[in-house]
Amino acid sequence: MTKLLRVSAVLTIIGLAFMVWSLVQPTPMPVILAMSVGQGAGSLAFGLYLYVIVVDLRRDRRRRRESLQNIPTQKDTPTS
Amino acid sequence: METSMSFDPFVVFALGCAALSVVLLVWFLLKSRPLTRALKIVLLFGVGILPLATATTGNVAGYNATKTTRFCSSCHVMTPYGEDSWNRDSKSLASRHARNEMFGHENCYACHADYGMFGTITTKMGGMRHVYEYLFHYRQLDLNTALEKIEIRRPFQNSTCMHCHSTQNPAWNAVGDHASSLDDVRAGKLSCASEGCHGPAHPFSKAIKAAAKKAVPK
Repeated sequence: MTKLLRVSAVLTIIGLAFMVWSLVQPTPMPVILAMSVGQGAGSLAFGLYLYVIVVDLRRDRRRRRESLQNIPTQKDTPTS
Repeated sequence: METSMSFDPFVVFALGCAALSVVLLVWFLLKSRPLTRALKIVLLFGVGILPLATATTGNVAGYNATKTTRFCSSCHVMTPYGEDSWNRDSKSLASRHARNEMFGHENCYACHADYGMFGTITTKMGGMRHVYEYLFHYRQLDLNTALEKIEIRRPFQNSTCMHCHSTQNPAWNAVGDHASSLDDVRAGKLSCASEGCHGPAHPFSKAIKAAAKKAVPK
């Protein structure tokens, strides 16, 4: 999961580089690349981030549910 | 030639957000950290909120930039047109209009943009075609050949002139040539920018075209 987040971070930096290029040098090529490649990379990166977060939250919830099921109830506890 | 870079708050905001985002991401990339709630929030800003802010404000800044004369004349084949519009000694129709504060740094766009509800969209689509034509046909051309070959795609519309010069003003109608050609001008049959009236708008390119036509052996 951390690997995916790292990919997402690198993609974001690439996307931002295109956007910054278009801001510093507003000529046709940089502007077009920023609005296509840059924003595409940024969107993909954010998608990856959301995927990782959702998977992590689900895993967390499952773990919590399982731990709740493993708590011995009063019925299960042996009586003397 | 215009060289000064005007201060655009959108650009400053976008650059600030991008810088902050990169700082957070580099901090994350430099050391492997467990995926805690705090890290998720930091990454939400680094991957989500700040880049989104950069993209949004960057789009506005980019859109504004595409309207400037500096943007249009950044392709070498359009440089003479831009330089003519900035030349205060030029008597061309384009240059005289460019001196008007309303046209200012966006003087290409002010005259060549389509008006109406979808004007911006059709103008931008036309702009994409310009980029395509430049990349695949005109990029390698030297300036003289380009000036000779490049033509406006369709005749310049009088409606663009009439956006400011409504043809309703008594002072306008007091000019004999205006009064006699009023219907033709409004119908677009007689161009305001035609030779003998107020045109051509960019006379230097017409002169090069005329010279090239004369030079062709019969």
